[in-house]
Amino acid sequence: MSGTAQPHRWIDRERLGYAEICAAVADPIQKRGPGRAWAIAFLGALPFVLATLAAIGAVLTLGIGLSGVNTTVVWGFSIANYVWWIGIGNAGTLISSMLLLTRQHWRASINRFAEAMTLFAAAIAGIFPIIHLGRPLYAYWLAPYPNTMDLWPQWRSALVWDFWAILSYLLFSLIFWFTGLLPDLATMRDRAETRIGRRFYGALALGWRGSARHWALYESFHKAMAALAVPLVCSVHSIVGLDFAASLMPGWQESIFPPYFVVGAMYSGFAMVVVLAITIRWGLNLQALITPAHFDAMAKVMLFASIVMTFSYATEWFMGWYGGDHADRSVIAYFFTGDYRWLYYSLLFCNCLVPQALWFARVRLNLWALALIAVVINLGMWLERILIVWNTLSHGHAVSLWRTYHVSFYDVVILIAPLGLFAFGFLVLARIFPIVSIHEVSQIAHDEGAAAAGVPKGGVA
Amino acid sequence: MSPLIPPSRREALRLLGAGITLAAGGCSRPVEEIVPYVRAPEQLLPGVPARYATALSLSGWARGVHAIAVDGRPIKIEGNPLHPGSLGATDLFAEAAILDLYDPDRSRTVTERVNGIASWDMFERALSGPFATVQRVRGRGLHLVTGRITSPTLARQIEGLLRALPEATWHVHEPVNDGNAEHGAELAFGRPLRALPRLDRAEVILCVGADPLGPGPDQIRLSRAFIDRRRDPARFGRLYVAEAALTPTGVKADARRAVHPLDQPAILAVIANALGAGLAPPDLSDEARRFALAAADDLKAQEGRALVLAGPALAPEWHALAHWINARLRAPVDFIAPPDRIEGRMPATLADLAGALDRGSVTCLAILGSDPVATAPADLDLGARIERARFSVHAGLHGDETAGKTHWHLPLTHELESWSDLRATDGTASLVQPLLRPLYDGRSLHEILPLFAGRPATAGHTLVRETWKDQGGADFEGWWRRCLHDGLIEGTAAPILDPGEPRLPALPTLRRGEGFAVELRPDPCLWDGRFANNAWLQECPKPISKQVWGNALALSRNEAGRRGLEAGDVVQTAVGGRSVEVPVVIESGVAEGVGVLTLGYGRERAGAIGNGIGADGYKLATQAEPRLLTNVALTKTGRTETILRTQNYVEIEGETKTLFRQIDLAALSEAEPKGIGADQPSLLAPWTGDKDGHAWAMVIDTDACIGCNACVVACQSENNVPVVGPEEIARGRMMHWLRVDIYDEGSPEAPRAGFQPVPCMHCEHAPCEPVCPVAASIHDGEGLNLQVYNRCVGTRFCEANCPYKVRRFNFFGYADGQPYANLGAESVKAQRNPNVTVRARGVMEKCTYCIQRIATERQAAERDGRPMGEVVTACQSACPTRAIRFGDLAEPGSPIAELRKDPRHYALMEELNTRPRTTYLANLRSPNPALKEDHA
Repeated sequence: MSGTAQPHRWIDRERLGYAEICAAVADPIQKRGPGRAWAIAFLGALPFVLATLAAIGAVLTLGIGLSGVNTTVVWGFSIANYVWWIGIGNAGTLISSMLLLTRQHWRASINRFAEAMTLFAAAIAGIFPIIHLGRPLYAYWLAPYPNTMDLWPQWRSALVWDFWAILSYLLFSLIFWFTGLLPDLATMRDRAETRIGRRFYGALALGWRGSARHWALYESFHKAMAALAVPLVCSVHSIVGLDFAASLMPGWQESIFPPYFVVGAMYSGFAMVVVLAITIRWGLNLQALITPAHFDAMAKVMLFASIVMTFSYATEWFMGWYGGDHADRSVIAYFFTGDYRWLYYSLLFCNCLVPQALWFARVRLNLWALALIAVVINLGMWLERILIVWNTLSHGHAVSLWRTYHVSFYDVVILIAPLGLFAFGFLVLARIFPIVSIHEVSQIAHDEGAAAAGVPKGGVA
Repeated sequence: MSPLIPPSRREALRLLGAGITLAAGGCSRPVEEIVPYVRAPEQLLPGVPARYATALSLSGWARGVHAIAVDGRPIKIEGNPLHPGSLGATDLFAEAAILDLYDPDRSRTVTERVNGIASWDMFERALSGPFATVQRVRGRGLHLVTGRITSPTLARQIEGLLRALPEATWHVHEPVNDGNAEHGAELAFGRPLRALPRLDRAEVILCVGADPLGPGPDQIRLSRAFIDRRRDPARFGRLYVAEAALTPTGVKADARRAVHPLDQPAILAVIANALGAGLAPPDLSDEARRFALAAADDLKAQEGRALVLAGPALAPEWHALAHWINARLRAPVDFIAPPDRIEGRMPATLADLAGALDRGSVTCLAILGSDPVATAPADLDLGARIERARFSVHAGLHGDETAGKTHWHLPLTHELESWSDLRATDGTASLVQPLLRPLYDGRSLHEILPLFAGRPATAGHTLVRETWKDQGGADFEGWWRRCLHDGLIEGTAAPILDPGEPRLPALPTLRRGEGFAVELRPDPCLWDGRFANNAWLQECPKPISKQVWGNALALSRNEAGRRGLEAGDVVQTAVGGRSVEVPVVIESGVAEGVGVLTLGYGRERAGAIGNGIGADGYKLATQAEPRLLTNVALTKTGRTETILRTQNYVEIEGETKTLFRQIDLAALSEAEPKGIGADQPSLLAPWTGDKDGHAWAMVIDTDACIGCNACVVACQSENNVPVVGPEEIARGRMMHWLRVDIYDEGSPEAPRAGFQPVPCMHCEHAPCEPVCPVAASIHDGEGLNLQVYNRCVGTRFCEANCPYKVRRFNFFGYADGQPYANLGAESVKAQRNPNVTVRARGVMEKCTYCIQRIATERQAAERDGRPMGEVVTACQSACPTRAIRFGDLAEPGSPIAELRKDPRHYALMEELNTRPRTTYLANLRSPNPALKEDHA
């Protein structure tokens, strides 16, 4: 793999010393100003942030009637957005933890922002179930807190499981991300030139000195967390799948839902990582750290996920027909012939057909094509989520109340504006914390021999 | 103590102002409050509902009702079991009357067109001039316009007025009248007679354009008689219907044909010929002729128990022919003298009024309780002509279209605020008693009429008692109290007359133009438009089309296809130079070459609710063609409008037929009752019986349901169900706890439909319960599935998981802070049932089986130390045909448990293992073996 153009597999420079790595990551934050591109991006994201806040304010003031939900299709964009964002969040942790456990060293340069992506995506996802409620101010009733009325949540409800799943996932993501950040925070502290910087990073670094004992503790803690992460990632999205599967509705009541949701989450999550990696690589000039080989690996994962998704869809159709239940068959027929059939065909196009281009190495290595495919996959996955909600609810058991969803202006805002909020989060993060893991990239550089002087070209440790 | 210095200039002015204000306030009449009482009347218990018997009118005819008042506020209307026009049930108009009482748009004060707000004194002064003029000439120039008068007191007053002022003219205008039937009876029998068909004794019935089960003053009586007879399979009989568009009667038909209104007389002619009339053989399609001949055979075979009914749009001659046929068939029809006539007085028509206005001979025009400007045939152009009256006054509940054209407008009191009396269609008189003091400064017609007779104003109470003073012998007070208590006056039903042999009338030649025809019908929800400002009725789905907040021109699929029209296309409907723009709706069972439009929409001055909703059919009607317009031109405008609907018209295909079980009468003996499904394993806790021994259940007989919507509005009234408004309906939202679905297993050309009311199923394994994260959807100890409003956080998972989709969500604060239009006004709040929570924004709600009524009965039983008696839900009490039964499954020998063993019994979606408590009885149909196309 480390062909002629590339001296090392995961480092795109023949020589890349530790100092250089540190400088590449830390200097944009500590030495240089935000720069024009950052300012433009920041200003571009700001209206979206304000729009998100305005939409949330409006729905809290005027009521969930602002959304296009109706008596039959009682769920809508909020639920689809929630599932989509949780899905995005999933891949971050998966990349970090699964790849850490399987010793895929290439993860080093992308895991930091993949984890950050998880954090932001899960936080944004967490907003939706709350603002979708009729009475959001009582969302805390899902928590089992002691109260004078002796009331507890209703544990049989998938929504309560979901509440715990999101909450634990969010807390876990935060801790996992922060743990991985610790050595870098110490680096930042040591490199900080201002008093405020030293205080700030110093407080966050929790007294990290880089001693062998620290590193030993860090390694075992981080690995243990990573081991926890994998089942957690699976559980969170399985439970999201159970929100639908633990029901009585045709098209939802399917045992395939939990695994199908996990794969779907990984799929859209990897697509989002690809988009972000391309953006960050370009925005922060990290070509040396994020190499075509990274994209090649991720593209292969997406291709695999696409095949699994296609297989899942086919299973759904087959089981609907094979089960023989009229309501199920009717819903499957509705996928293809009903009111949302064009959206359904688009979903198949985006999720099943387009990613097949990734069989070709030329496509995998062409960042433009890859970015485009990744965006298409994310679009397709959002369509999948909204259609899971719409198709079943629009075409349930009660024939006289079959009706379609009416997309409202509010729906469009809460679909698009949080993307800006997400970008905003990244922009802020990129100005505060190292966006690529300094210590892990240094280790790769060491392993690949790029860091040490005098190691022959192409040498692998 | 402050020094005694003179007040400053400012202070002096302030004191002066205060003094003037106080003086002015002191001079006004003392404000009289209705509630609360300082000293409560002895019988009145706070919070305990009191029932008063009274009567409500529809097109002048009475339906006796019990009005329920809590702390002096009427909140609900129920039927009066003693009254022949109610039989304990209501219709949707009676149920909705309570909202009319509290309508914020009601006129509150006397108004003058130029100067605005005025007073009764000012009006009396203004009237004195023109009245003196007409009095000098024995009343010439005085024109009274009223609706149908069945009130004996009002009749007596009008008679008195006309006797005192013999030159005065009394006009009667009833927008939806039985003019053709009245003339037909006169043609046939030579004298005015009113026919009362006895559907309880008629087993084979042919309706030609007639809709006896449809909306109207006689709906309850006719449908009860019809359905009660059909409950006995031996007397099930057969109903033939030939009509232009599907009506409730058409839905219940065993054989139905869509027949163009101009062809409908030919059906009658075929029947008459089969009975030996010897008329010229009419021109009729083969299919319709076969239908008519099959009906004729059946009618002849059941002589004495066969009946033919002609529709209101048919010319009088055809009504006369129907009488002739009925006489041949010895049909069970009673004849009485029309109870809406004043002996020896023939009221003039609106056309006479228009003539008088043109001649300029109208000195004083009084339009009392009628809205002719909105409802008169368009060619009379009454709106413009009324301006020619020297002095004109309108009395009405609303400042409506007519009020906009007259000089003065007087506010009328609502029927629940005034003393009066009314007659039912069979002549039975009832006393109308007020439940509360008039909310506004209104007077009843009885109190207004003396002003035009030059008499002093008298209280309505006195006037009504005056009418009946000779009754009751020595004990008038006792008699009066008994009549008030019972809600009707014994022995006032019109005597049944022997009409004699009907003549075979000279019949007009049948004309069958090629042009397109439009039939105008009273609206099943707004009637003739008088209920246009009633939000419950505006949002009540029409029985067939399920349309709300508007009307539309119903076309058949073929007709629309031929004209390149799709549902929602707005067409310009033009006839004789007049036109309205109306959206098209495609309906099953509409005859070719005809469209059907309902009246009562397109009002300009109905109020905040009714203004500008729908298209005004009256604009097309003329004196010559009041209900059936011929040679109508339809032009596509290119605009489209969404037809607002609350639910779909379900065309049964494949396995959806299990949703609506239909059985042929012939196969009834082989039918087996279907249970609520085997109790399959479930993750839900098993239902182990009820704590205090009750198990509430409901059985709905779909065969008895005529889709009249009385239950829907009754539920709305009882349970504080809010109105959401047309914008919300367009977004697919609604709040009705009870919906009446329509299922059709026929084809668009030949529907075979039926109605199915769907309240909450109160499933024993309720899918809504395990999915609620906060346990707001729970089961109580009596098998009721409850929604705890103040625990609900609004995830809506319960509705998502409800296979029946019976839960309703407050997307906005429809009842609480974000009401539609003016429905948040204080007066509307007075209607609310104090025993039912008004739901807030963001919570789910649904049918509770009227748990407040169960609780009331339980408390009463506990207090009296007796077992619980019968509980009647609001929908059940409203149902004219008693299709809805409610009771306790656990009670030994309970009728509800028996109904579950009926061979027609079935449960909705029992395969889902929900074990519903609301179950159904299948629809029955008795198709004629000779008419193959009616068989499934």
